[in-house]
Amino acid sequence: MSKPDPMKTYETHKCRLLRVYGLTEHEKLFLFRFDDPEIAQSWRFMPGQFVELSLLGHGEVPISICSSARRMGFFELCIRKAGRVTSEIHKLKPGDMVRIRGPYGNGFPMDRFYDRDLLLVAAGLGMAPLRSVFLYALDNRWLFGNITIINSSKLGKELLFAKELKAMRDIATAENIEIIQTATRDPDWGGLTGRAPTHLDKVNVDPTKCTAALCGPPRMYKSMFEQMIKLGYDPRYIFVNLERRMKCGVGKCGHCNIGTATSWKYTCKDGPVFDYYDIISIPGLI
Amino acid sequence: MRYVKLPKEKVCEFLERLKSMGTLYGPKKISEKFYDFREIGDVKEVEFEYNRTITPPRKYFFPERETVFTFDTVNVEIHETMPEGKPIILFGVHACDIVGLRIMDSRFIDDLPDPYYQIRRENGIIIGLSCLPDEYCFCSVRRTDFVDAGFDLFLHLLPDGYLVRVGTVTGHKLIENSPEYFEEISSEDKDNFAKFETKRRSMFTVQGNWDDMRYRLELHLDHPMYMRESDKCLGCGNCTLTCPTCRCYEVKDLPTLDGTGGERIRFWDSCQFRSHGLVAGGHNFRPTKKDRFLNRYQCKNAYCETTTTSYCVGCGRCTYFCPADIQFKENLLEVYGTGGGA
Repeated sequence: MSKPDPMKTYETHKCRLLRVYGLTEHEKLFLFRFDDPEIAQSWRFMPGQFVELSLLGHGEVPISICSSARRMGFFELCIRKAGRVTSEIHKLKPGDMVRIRGPYGNGFPMDRFYDRDLLLVAAGLGMAPLRSVFLYALDNRWLFGNITIINSSKLGKELLFAKELKAMRDIATAENIEIIQTATRDPDWGGLTGRAPTHLDKVNVDPTKCTAALCGPPRMYKSMFEQMIKLGYDPRYIFVNLERRMKCGVGKCGHCNIGTATSWKYTCKDGPVFDYYDIISIPGLI
Repeated sequence: MRYVKLPKEKVCEFLERLKSMGTLYGPKKISEKFYDFREIGDVKEVEFEYNRTITPPRKYFFPERETVFTFDTVNVEIHETMPEGKPIILFGVHACDIVGLRIMDSRFIDDLPDPYYQIRRENGIIIGLSCLPDEYCFCSVRRTDFVDAGFDLFLHLLPDGYLVRVGTVTGHKLIENSPEYFEEISSEDKDNFAKFETKRRSMFTVQGNWDDMRYRLELHLDHPMYMRESDKCLGCGNCTLTCPTCRCYEVKDLPTLDGTGGERIRFWDSCQFRSHGLVAGGHNFRPTKKDRFLNRYQCKNAYCETTTTSYCVGCGRCTYFCPADIQFKENLLEVYGTGGGA
C-alpha cells in the first residue's frame, strides 16, 4: 500500500451554494456544487459520511451529507441553526462560497445492505443522514428488497423532509416502499402518532432478512433495539449513526472521544456508524 | 543492535556537533525545582540528571499553538502554512517520553496523517537518555521503562561516560560522521550497564504489570474514587498539558479587523475543560467534573496497538504538576484493588 498523502488530510475545496430551501423553523437544506471541475468529477462519498463546512472567519462545523451519492459534483446538507457558525450559515445566499473538507467517517457499510430488505428509522435531525441512505436505495433500487422508512419527530411541523416523502407516495407504491411519518407529541397533528418502535408492526420488511439503519437520540436506540430483537431482527444487521463533537473529522483533536479504557473510540473516524455489537460492548456509546 | 561508548570527556564536543546540525533542544534546569526542554545555546546547560521536564517533548512536533492556514474571506481562498522542515535535534529524552512520541505518531501519522506533525517529526532526531525513577515514576508497570524503538541513539549512563545504543540509520550516520567521539565498548562497560539496569529496576515504588488495568477500571466505572477525587480537581488542565501523549486540540478562526482575512489556529485543548464536550445549543457530552475526570482515566488507560502499551506511559507528570495533589497512580491502584499486579 502506498503511503497516504498528508496534504490530503485537511484539504479543503471551494464550493458554491446553489439553493437554500427552508425545511422547518430551524432547519434549512443547502445545495452545493464544487467550484473546481476536477474535484466535482472525482469527489465521492458513502451514505452516513459527513463533511466539515468552513465559513472562513467564523469557523467550521461537521455536517452529515443528506443527498444521494449518485449525483456527482453536488451534495446537500441539512443544517439546524443551533450555534454561532450554523447561524452564520443560515444567512448564506445562493452564489455564496464556502469551503468543504471530507468526506469523513466510515459511513454505512452498504455492501451489508445489498440483497436484503431495508429499514430506516429516523428521529428528529436523524433523518438527514438517513435520507442519504434512502436516496441511495432508490437510485440503486435493484440492489435492495422491500424498503420501509420511519420518520419521526416531536411535532408534525418538525418532521424533516416530510413534504418530500409525502410527494413520493406514488413512486413508493410502485417500488414497494413503505413511508411512515409520525409525530410523537403533537395534539394538532393529523397523521400517525406514537414513537418509532410502536410502528414496527406496519413495516413491509422481513426482520430475518433486513438491514436496519437508525439515527436519533440514545433513548430511541434503546427502545428500538429491545423491540427489534424481540421481533427477530438480526443484530449483526442493525446500524446506528452517532453524533458527537467531531471537530477535526480525522481522529486527531479528541473532542468526539467515546468509550472506556478497553474500547476507546473516535466517533469521527471509528464511526459515526456503529453496529449493535459495538453499542453493547462500548459503555457510553449511546 | 550496535553499541558504542561515548566517553564522559567527549560528551560536550558531541553535543556541539549535534548543535551544528540543526536546532538542538534538551533538558535544562529552569528554576530551583523544575526542568524543561529548551533550546540549547551553551551545551554546558544541558541537564543530564533530571527527573522530568514540565512540558513533554511532543511540543516540538505538535506546538502549543500554530497557524494552520491564513485565509482571504473575499475570494474564499486559503494559504496553508506548513512547517519549514528544519532539523530538530531533541537530546536527553527519557524512555517513557520516547514511547510517548511513538504513541503520538500512532495517532498523528496514521491513514489520515497530520501534515504539520509529520513534517516536523520526519525532520526530528531523538537521542534518548537513561534515568533513575523517583517516587512519581511508574513506567515499569506500563512497560515503557526501556525502549526498543523510537530513538536514533540512546545513551545509558556509565561511571565514565555513556553506553550508546544505535536505533536507526540516522543514528549510525551520527556515529560514522563523528568517529572521533566514540569508542568500542569494553566488558567493563557491559557490566556497568547491567549494574545500572539492575539498580534502576529495583528503585520503582510500584512493581508488576498493569496490562489488565483497563479491564479492572472498566469493571468498576462507578467506583467512588472518581467522585471523591474529581471533587478535589480544579479543572486547570495541568495533567493533560504536561502529559506526553495528550493531543486534543481546539481550532479557532482569528479574522482581521476589516474581516477580509485572518488565520485559522489550532492550540492544545484539555478534556478537563468544560468546553471540551460542549456543542452548539448548550448540550455537553461530559457536563460534570466527574465525567471529565473519568474520561481522562479511561483514555489514558486505553490500549495503543502500535506500542502495545496504554496511552499513559507512567511519567508521573500529571501527579507531580497537579496543584490539587491528585495522585493518579494511587487512584488507579485503589480501583485495581489490593494484590494482583500492585
